[in-house]
Amino acid sequence: MLYRVMDKRELPALVRAFMESYEVVAPVKRGSGYIFDVIGSPEEIELDYTQTASSPKKYLMPPTETLMKFDANMNLVEDFIEQVTPRVIFGVHTCDINALNRLDVALIGGKYVDPYYQARRDATIVVGISCVPNENCFCHLWGADEAQFGYDLFLHDIGDKYLVSMSNVEATNILEAACELSEATDEDRIAFRQATRVRQSAFNKDIPDVQDVAMLMDVFHSDPFWEELGKKCLSCSACASVCPTCFCFDIRDVLTPDGKTGERQRTWDACTNPGFAMVTGGHNFRPTGRERVRHRMYHKLNGFFVNHDRMLCVGCGRCVTACKTGINPIEVLRFFKRKGADHAK
Amino acid sequence: MGAFSLITDTERRVPRVVVVGLASCFGCQLQITNAEQYLMQILGQIDLQYWQLVTSEDMPDQYDVAIIEGAVTTRESEETCKAVRAKAAHVMAIGACATTAGVTGMAMPGLDGRIAEVYGDGLPDASGEFIAPRPVSAVIPVDSEVRCCPIDPLDFVAMLQRALFGSNRSLDTRTLCSDCKRNETECFYNSGTLCLGLVTRAGCGARCVNLGRPCNGCAGLSPDANLDAARAACDTYGVSRADFDKALEMFNQVNPVLAESGDE
Amino acid sequence: MQSNMSRGIIEVDALREATPSMSGKEMLLGNAYRPWPARITSMRDLTANEKLVEMRFIDERVREAFVHEPGQFLELSLFGVGEAPISITSSPTKQGFVELCIRRAGTVTGALHSMHAGDIVGIRGPFGRGFPVDKFRGNDVLIVAGGLGIAPVRSLINYIHDNRSDFGKVTIVYGSRTPSDIMFRDQFEMWRHRKDFELYLTVDQPDDTWDGEVGVVTEPMKRLDFNPANTYGVVCGPPIMYKFVVQVMREKNIDYDHIYLDFERHMKCGMGKCGHCQIGHQYCCIDGPVFNYWEAKNIQGSM
Repeated sequence: MLYRVMDKRELPALVRAFMESYEVVAPVKRGSGYIFDVIGSPEEIELDYTQTASSPKKYLMPPTETLMKFDANMNLVEDFIEQVTPRVIFGVHTCDINALNRLDVALIGGKYVDPYYQARRDATIVVGISCVPNENCFCHLWGADEAQFGYDLFLHDIGDKYLVSMSNVEATNILEAACELSEATDEDRIAFRQATRVRQSAFNKDIPDVQDVAMLMDVFHSDPFWEELGKKCLSCSACASVCPTCFCFDIRDVLTPDGKTGERQRTWDACTNPGFAMVTGGHNFRPTGRERVRHRMYHKLNGFFVNHDRMLCVGCGRCVTACKTGINPIEVLRFFKRKGADHAK
Repeated sequence: MGAFSLITDTERRVPRVVVVGLASCFGCQLQITNAEQYLMQILGQIDLQYWQLVTSEDMPDQYDVAIIEGAVTTRESEETCKAVRAKAAHVMAIGACATTAGVTGMAMPGLDGRIAEVYGDGLPDASGEFIAPRPVSAVIPVDSEVRCCPIDPLDFVAMLQRALFGSNRSLDTRTLCSDCKRNETECFYNSGTLCLGLVTRAGCGARCVNLGRPCNGCAGLSPDANLDAARAACDTYGVSRADFDKALEMFNQVNPVLAESGDE
Repeated sequence: MQSNMSRGIIEVDALREATPSMSGKEMLLGNAYRPWPARITSMRDLTANEKLVEMRFIDERVREAFVHEPGQFLELSLFGVGEAPISITSSPTKQGFVELCIRRAGTVTGALHSMHAGDIVGIRGPFGRGFPVDKFRGNDVLIVAGGLGIAPVRSLINYIHDNRSDFGKVTIVYGSRTPSDIMFRDQFEMWRHRKDFELYLTVDQPDDTWDGEVGVVTEPMKRLDFNPANTYGVVCGPPIMYKFVVQVMREKNIDYDHIYLDFERHMKCGMGKCGHCQIGHQYCCIDGPVFNYWEAKNIQGSM
């Protein structure tokens, strides 16, 4: 990976350079936490943020978006042009970059390309930033603590400077024009190594590291644990809303008030939504919290892995705070740990 | 296409609609008028034969869609519902009173004493014969519902269109919290503040929370509400269970689920 | 910089509007969310609750490019009402039109029942993995269908019919609730005396007109005699049926991966994305809806 070193004091210049031709979204303070939002000036950015409430997913797959417009009387598609905003998502942690890579697999990999997601992804520049884990972070367990690809620039914090990984020409051009870059010195390299060590040792050791999780999901598929966990589910789908990798959706038609025309929309949906697996006629293939919570975890920790060789969880920890009843992958890992304890029945 | 779902081909015509008011503040009927810019367009799709808010005439004898606002609180309004059901192909309940019995439901405990307290011996004939307050769906099968206190005018328009043209759009029964997550508003529980979003049916987009107020549950309990888990969450976040149960009474007093799951 | 280009909005033709040079395939796959208009060319009652609807794409390129396998499905659009996944009941050996067997079950199918020949609908697809007819070729085929399950397998039956010499012995067991629920009854009546199709119709509840078999589909199956080594089994019907039919097929020693099951889930997008049709780690819409029993056994929650 090509890398250079930039002085931290040049960061506002870089952001301003991006703002000239892009809408820049970045972590900003909201209440007692942080969110990704459009910024008006570099000063609004909070690069030391721990975790944002929701992920940058919303910029690539908005909660509700128009797929097409139609004439309801003629039953025909009407002209529809999608408006895409060229955007820089600035200050993205590795978990969220890895999450975008998984969304890419799901939405533009395979036989069918999702043209809406692809249009936004193509118009988006991702600038990553290194971070130090908080108590809910477990990205390292799924190998999502490093971003191999999926970003355009990545800023590794090495004290007064950033070691910048550069993987995209357009972003590099803007960077080079805006900032004075230098070759890394031995001192910089040592600082980078130190930073990675600090980060590695900062993960919460109470979160169990369990081997063979995907297989365990199969092996303990009928365990009473799922009933226990499912019984706690509020059926709110907060988990899926904050999840950077949940991409399930619903398609629905919305008429204009005159009833003559309308639009077909896609809107976020979730397998924890009670009616998600209902078929015409009313049969629900996942009728209770037990099946729904288990299915969500199973897709995250087995299904996607079996098909794509990576978990559909990046360990960002957002669901740990979002779920008011404590349903999250850490609880699943703790369950597996209990099953592996010497005194387990 | 115009596949109107209520009327068979042979008698295709503009659907006749009536709007009936039961025990309520009439605010939801008024909300319909707040669809201002669309009102004429909506009226262009239907044959509005009766609107209790704006007429003193009697209800016509034939209609296709009946929109009912308000809770059933008297023997007479119960009969009205049954009569409406017998005639209308589609019955729509609008507003918290019609869908949950709403605030009128709060009169439920010790109802008789309350009536005496308010009216003394002089209960006017016009009041009718009081019965325990209940939502319209407790009296007759209801085809569609527009929830909340008051209703959102555009929700009403969308539901009316659904009645007129049909729609396979799924009606979510999930609870509210995922909307707050989409809106990225801060969860009240994180600061130990009671909010009924944990158990209240989603659909409003969490607009009270967006305005800085906790959910008061006006959309009613979701059929998938998990009261036990919600009470446990109250414990975790330092919110009193008793306060939670008390707050639920405002819009869910007569919901049988509440009586069944009594904590004490 | 005050460039007009700065902070611009990119306009994307996400719908992939058709240009004169575009091929039918490009039109179907450019944006697979986009339905293409098709005209209803005929509608006839199969039963009191089911209609056979024939549709033709209006654009000639799409009409030619829309080539399906038996067992595949499409998404039928009535704009404003919504979409519904419907299995294709015509055989790919007959091109230029698609036939759907529509039960009045939901809002979309209900609205379609009130439409007429000449009306326009939207269609996108075909989606999913159908029956592996190439594997079946040269072998015997035992087809077991219940109720509306006949719709997708009719595509297979007619495919075999039109390529009859490619296949060995073909046995069809079709169960219905009552005699008046039997779909394509005229076709099956005609086939009753044919030598190249062995046909068993059963009903749960007979009426005065019924002189055929009464009972579940597994009864005639048990009497059947076939060589398991070169027999492929096909099952499609209500969920409850699969377990029992598969059990009989296994007792007759048909191998795990020679038994093909057609699953029903709510396929909303058809492209393995929306998640509604997921079963375990599989998406019914792209990995299925046809799975062999071995695959099905490997899917958590499939049966």
